[in-house]
Amino acid sequence: MAMMDELHVSLSPRLSAVRSLAQMVEEFGDANKLPDQQIYMINLALDELITNTVSYGLRGVTRPRIEITLQVGETSLALTMEDNGQPFDPTANPDPDLSSAVDERPVGGLGLHLIKTFADRVNYEYVNGKNRLTLEHDLTPEAR
Amino acid sequence: MDIEVAEERNEDVLVLLPVGRLDSGNARSFESVVMDHVSSGERRLVVDFSRLDFISSSGMRVLLIAAKALKAGEGTLVLCSMKNHIEEVFRISGFDRIIPIKDSRESALAASS
Repeated sequence: MAMMDELHVSLSPRLSAVRSLAQMVEEFGDANKLPDQQIYMINLALDELITNTVSYGLRGVTRPRIEITLQVGETSLALTMEDNGQPFDPTANPDPDLSSAVDERPVGGLGLHLIKTFADRVNYEYVNGKNRLTLEHDLTPEAR
Repeated sequence: MDIEVAEERNEDVLVLLPVGRLDSGNARSFESVVMDHVSSGERRLVVDFSRLDFISSSGMRVLLIAAKALKAGEGTLVLCSMKNHIEEVFRISGFDRIIPIKDSRESALAASS
């Protein structure tokens, strides 16, 4: 059965937007019977990406906007985030060293690493003055 | 944004129970709660996740900072009672190899003494 459902949210960039968005994502996830783990990973990614973008990328931008799209297809779930901030490619960030001991471990870089680890495909492009990051997660048949 | 953190004491172990959502919005608030205890001399901390529904990387970062500070003073940090989807994230990020995670409060307390 072909199934396609979409959530599209246009945010004015405030840190507090993360919470109301998380609520919408949970409701969308429940309505589409997505596994808890997948909803959690989407909200983890959104918390990280929106916080970064609001704190750095959109600083000083005249009409800052963030657009979030979540699409459920038959075999995959895609999260797209677009913003009109400074060009920033999160896929180019180096991964943190996760093997080091507690006292040697750097405290940053973890969020982006988690996002990249959990997504099956990550794509970044800068087009028409916008950053566009797409994260795709495969859905197993049992999960649908 | 402040986070609600319940606190319980079991002999020399202090158990912290953050409630609800620990994200970029309240990670700083959680950091001051935890680090205030560390600076006032607590050496054995357990963070019980049973009332926590969501933790982002900024919340995990606070646990890493606390683990480092406690380790420097010969103390311990043990986590327990995580929901499955949260434990999965800790496993994939490699956190379970640097901060012990126990199934129950009892085993966390046993590991702290």
